[in-house]
Amino acid sequence: MSASLRARARASALPTKVWIGAGIVLLFMLIALCAPLLAPFDPLALDPVNRLQAPSSLHWLGSDELGRDSLSRLLYASRIDLPIGLICALLPAVIGTFLGLIAGYFGSWVDALIMRLADIVQAFPSYILIISLVVAFGQGATSIVAAFTLLGWVIYARLVRTEVIRVRSLAYIQAAETAGLPSGRILMHHVVPNVIGQTIVYVPSDIVFATLGLAAFSFLGLGIPVPTAEWGGMIAAVQPYIRTQWWLAAAPGLLIVLYGFGLSLLGEGLEEAQR
Amino acid sequence: MLLSIVLVVFLLLKVTPGDPARNVAGLRASPEELAQVRTELGIDRPILVQYWNYLSHAVQGDLGYSYKSRETVTAMIGARVAATVWLVSVAIVMVLLITIPLAIIAATRQGHAIDHAIRIAGLLGLSMPAFWVGVMLLLLIALPTGWFPAGGFGESPREHLRSVILPALTLAIGMAPVPIRSLRASIIAILATDYVATARSLGIPGGRIIRRFVLRNAAVPFITVFALEIGFLLFGTAVVETTFALPGVGQGLVLAARGRDLPAIQGYTLLFATLAVVVYLLADILTALLDPRVEIDS
Repeated sequence: MSASLRARARASALPTKVWIGAGIVLLFMLIALCAPLLAPFDPLALDPVNRLQAPSSLHWLGSDELGRDSLSRLLYASRIDLPIGLICALLPAVIGTFLGLIAGYFGSWVDALIMRLADIVQAFPSYILIISLVVAFGQGATSIVAAFTLLGWVIYARLVRTEVIRVRSLAYIQAAETAGLPSGRILMHHVVPNVIGQTIVYVPSDIVFATLGLAAFSFLGLGIPVPTAEWGGMIAAVQPYIRTQWWLAAAPGLLIVLYGFGLSLLGEGLEEAQR
Repeated sequence: MLLSIVLVVFLLLKVTPGDPARNVAGLRASPEELAQVRTELGIDRPILVQYWNYLSHAVQGDLGYSYKSRETVTAMIGARVAATVWLVSVAIVMVLLITIPLAIIAATRQGHAIDHAIRIAGLLGLSMPAFWVGVMLLLLIALPTGWFPAGGFGESPREHLRSVILPALTLAIGMAPVPIRSLRASIIAILATDYVATARSLGIPGGRIIRRFVLRNAAVPFITVFALEIGFLLFGTAVVETTFALPGVGQGLVLAARGRDLPAIQGYTLLFATLAVVVYLLADILTALLDPRVEIDS
């Protein structure tokens, strides 16, 4: 009862930004889920005779340089960009939070080891290293996720560690320790709920960075390999034709901007709500 | 620190699948030819020896030979430095020209419509992929007006400048939002301090207060935030130079990565890592000069 009341009180306090942002993000997720139902064509079906068509009642957003339906490719691309961007942000968040928790809670050599590792990772110009990682692991979604995870956990580990060290010294944690509760239980039930907010606030903006990063790597020809539909790759493929078929390059970018804007609003709103 | 970066990249590229000797000698090379190429490349020796050789040559400016073009990596990089220096310098000037006035306006009119507009523009800026902004600038400005070349770097300094304006603007749009936000926050904090109130009560005009007291004090955190943008800037050069076909080191790295030209990738990464370290160091020194309370640790 008190829990649901608290939830309701918190919900009503959320700024409008959160709702607008969440609405945009939800819409994109729906599109990704329903892409096969929405798309009028197979996103990979070639039709060289009807290449670079202007928008028409048949091809709402025209057809690309290989005659594929642009709208269908845009819709299907959301099934690549959304989940991979999400994983690229969530995996480091989860791993970083976990490492920050144990570093902050157990201290001593565990802390020293994890933080030393964090120092090393943070010193790298990260995106440049991602290029080397992608070359080493081979092109594809797995490499991108691995690269983002290897480099992205640091900020979460640092944030959570600082919070854990603060929370640790509070009376109720000391009491739980004195009462002889096992460490795992104290961590999960008493520490995590108090520090998790710090992590959540950062996740939306990290999803933006990861999604933009994924699109950029695909644009450079180092991300998702062709012919899979992906927003960044689509822009790269049609760049030679922007003079005449500008919509082919404009549309995927607009989708990325709108999705990123929704996430940014959501993140900023959550941050304000926490203050 | 630099050494560890180089070591990690070195090891990563060593475990990369594919045989560099095969890459150089071609698909039809006989086993003897392959062995000879391996000896020439030095890749038949133990990894630690290779690493030591690489380092000892690198400090003398010898980064090995490209697998693709057979040029020295140093020469490849050297030919591309100019375009990137132009691009980055113009971009940094643009970022400062965008950031400082907008942050002052937003901070001094806190909560007004213009403050909100700047904030929303910042969120949009953060959500726009640089390569797309670049393509749109080409489409909306370069093509209709014909003022800017659609790619390349030109011959004379004048042409160089014209070639880098749109790419630099693209970089600046992506870089500006974060420093604007942090500078706005520090200006607001400083405007609320006692010494600003005192200056006001003495009747010192607002513009002078901003210049003499506020900006000077806001500079320290601003430099730190700005230096952290170097990571974005370096990757940004790769993206923007590829978009605008600008023959700089960023495009060089991308081409090397696409062609799996390992010595070239290593060379570019070493260059970028060195640049990042130098920028952090410069930022530390500058901060210490501006704020006597900050000490530089070794």
